[in-house]
Amino acid sequence: MQVKIVIGTVAFMLTMMILGFAVLREPARLAQYTVAAKGRSIEAGAHIFENNCATCHGIDGDAKECYNSAGEQVGCQGLPLNDYDMLCGDPTYRMDTLNWAGTKEDFVKTTIAAGRFGTVMPVWSEEFGGPMRPDQIQNVADFVLNWESEELCANEPVRYSWPEAVADYLASDDGAAGDAANGAELYVTYGCSGCHGDTAVEGSNAVGPWLGDIANVGATRVDGLDAAGYVYHSILDPNAFISPDCPTGPCATPSAMPATFAARIGSNPTDMADLLAFLLGN
Amino acid sequence: MATIFEQIQEMGIKQTVITKLDETVERLTVGMNINDIRSALRGDEPRRPNPRLRPHADSFWFHIRPSFYHTEVTHIYPTFRLGWLSTFMFVWETITGIILMVFYTPSPLVAYSNMWNILGNVPLGQLMRNMHRLGAEVMVLVVALHMLRTYITGSYKKPRQFTWATGVILLLFTALLSFSGYLLPWDQLSYWALTVFLSGAEAAPTPPGIDPDVFNGNVLLIAQGGPALGAGGLLRWYLLHVLLLPLLTGIFFFVHYYKVVLYGISLPPGREEIGEDTAKRVPRNERTYFTPDIATNELMWSALTTLFLVAGSLWLWDAPLETHADPVVTPLHVVAPWYLSWSQGWLKLADKTLVIGFIPLLLVAFIVMPYFEVSKSRRYADRRIALTVASLFFTFMLVSNWMGSPEFRVNSSPDREVSIELLPEEGTSAMLGVPYELMPEGTYLPAQPIDGNPHLTYALEEFQAAMYRHSCTLTGNTTWNECSYDESTPIETRKYSNHFSDDVMPDPTAKLIVEEVQPGLKKLTLQYKAFSPANPEEFLIDAEWVKYRHEDSNYETECRFANKSC
Repeated sequence: MQVKIVIGTVAFMLTMMILGFAVLREPARLAQYTVAAKGRSIEAGAHIFENNCATCHGIDGDAKECYNSAGEQVGCQGLPLNDYDMLCGDPTYRMDTLNWAGTKEDFVKTTIAAGRFGTVMPVWSEEFGGPMRPDQIQNVADFVLNWESEELCANEPVRYSWPEAVADYLASDDGAAGDAANGAELYVTYGCSGCHGDTAVEGSNAVGPWLGDIANVGATRVDGLDAAGYVYHSILDPNAFISPDCPTGPCATPSAMPATFAARIGSNPTDMADLLAFLLGN
Repeated sequence: MATIFEQIQEMGIKQTVITKLDETVERLTVGMNINDIRSALRGDEPRRPNPRLRPHADSFWFHIRPSFYHTEVTHIYPTFRLGWLSTFMFVWETITGIILMVFYTPSPLVAYSNMWNILGNVPLGQLMRNMHRLGAEVMVLVVALHMLRTYITGSYKKPRQFTWATGVILLLFTALLSFSGYLLPWDQLSYWALTVFLSGAEAAPTPPGIDPDVFNGNVLLIAQGGPALGAGGLLRWYLLHVLLLPLLTGIFFFVHYYKVVLYGISLPPGREEIGEDTAKRVPRNERTYFTPDIATNELMWSALTTLFLVAGSLWLWDAPLETHADPVVTPLHVVAPWYLSWSQGWLKLADKTLVIGFIPLLLVAFIVMPYFEVSKSRRYADRRIALTVASLFFTFMLVSNWMGSPEFRVNSSPDREVSIELLPEEGTSAMLGVPYELMPEGTYLPAQPIDGNPHLTYALEEFQAAMYRHSCTLTGNTTWNECSYDESTPIETRKYSNHFSDDVMPDPTAKLIVEEVQPGLKKLTLQYKAFSPANPEEFLIDAEWVKYRHEDSNYETECRFANKSC
């Protein structure tokens, strides 16, 4: 019996030592399996991407087949995903222009899951009627995000740089010819009317100040700025000046207006001239 | 009764503490004080009245254990500790299972990511999962061996027929417990193993006069919780696994063990007169008392078994985890768990309905067997027929298992077979196990030696070996073995065969292409080309197989284990 007690005790002590060893190596092992889970997810995403997404976005995610060397769309309609605007920075340029407030991963996942309205990007998640399970959406998102690299993000593409003074802008090719009729349409499609209301109806503004009389009011707000300058700077940087005329009294600080219009209008810089013509012509 | 203060005044603090401690120990052990325990551990004779017997009468935990055993049954033979070991494994599975339950939600949305969470985020989570899975397989083995031993020593005979019957049911529950746990990780392995298992329900024989489609269709509907295995099915099998089956197993265990205690463990067959059962009439000099001998013995075996299971789970074996369950992607080779491999073997012997109907009949035959096999003698020499039948059945099961093994699977196209060997959909392989940085971009041929890169060289040798198994040559190319073929078959349908397979690639070329498609992600492509021997212009096989490999995916670690050739 004494032998058995010794054997049992030794076995127990060995077990405890083995457990102790397991505990000591555990942090390293956990880290290894955490990245492995991600790695396997990326692998699964690569297969799904190749079979479902590559037709529009290209096998390398650069949608090369879709655009010619001048950047004009020639074939398929996918956006390049292996691209600075899609992946670099947080928020990325693309997230900024779409007013996305969440994380980069959520942006990619939501776009895949729910599709994008007004484009050929379909709904993929079975939750919304598509073919893919949530884990597959996650796999593809992991794969797409894996294109982000130092190399890709090293050089930011050249973007439209807004002139410091409105006079310089209006003197440039982009700002020379403002079309008030088009400006009226842009006032709606950029979403301005949602907060600022109908310029023809005083008091129709829901959140921001009414702009029907901005041609006169704007000139009085800031010393040294005319109405055009005031509107121009307010669009590019909503926090530059805070208006005292919101429907419920002075407007809030910081401004409730999205800061993304500089980027959004920057892809069509003549829109600014049209908007100014429309707002100041009223 | 003196108050504690009076006792302190009388005896001093030290003596009072000792006395109180002694009393507490005596209450906890229901009768044994510290001195009694020490004397038991030293192996001294007990005092009179024997305090070591009281717990068996008065305490809850000891009352179901006999206070002494016949010394003859306390050795390794005849029990081999298998019944005790089965019980230990059940307790082991319960404890590890409850811990795993904490980190598991039975929903297809999260079950699989729960697995990776257990592996990568729960301290000792992988160890716990390995121990549970390893324990499950050991338990099936131990319970089956327990049954075999009971049959061989004739211990199922009167008065232990009912004990045997409950034992057969416990074997069934053990297998079901193990198999119901199979589904829970919700990976390809579990999903398709259960789908194949459940497809048996569709083929089951129906009672006469009932439309099989309606009857079996409804059985299937209940078992998979919907028209296909999904959220409902997972919840059902989870509840079976953690609630109903353990409960039933517990109930049958206590009935089983009660009968074991009631009739005693049968002595070795040669130890008693034919037709007698003297297990309960133990002469005083042949008694081995539970305290301390049996208790010590069981503690020692508990420690040794725990040591084996912990070390095994840490170093020898990892529970498998494949990719996420996908109802629309059937893996190339679906394999039953090893303990059900015999049923896959049977399906190759006979019609599905026949096999499915035969299994419950076999179980019933096992259960009622002791009521028909009533010869009195338990001695081996008197039971030649019974033991012959047993060894024939055992051999038959071994052969069935072998026939159900991957050795006898139906082969897919040869290029697919090679691909699956080298870049399997699930798990690791010689080629996937090559460390990421040792797999540079390029095009490689089978058996191409790569200087200073033994891993890739080995993988390409395996490539060559796999090609060899699935290809042959007609033109005297000495790299591949020569084809044989049947002259009488028309050339359009003629199969070129080698020693291993009769569906092969003639004169194939094959290569491996490695490209880096993303930072840290390589695309491995296997390309095959084989021309028709009848028309050298025409491709017989022009195929590709793609597998992606991420630098962090950890295939190297999977390769640690002996059953992986990499």
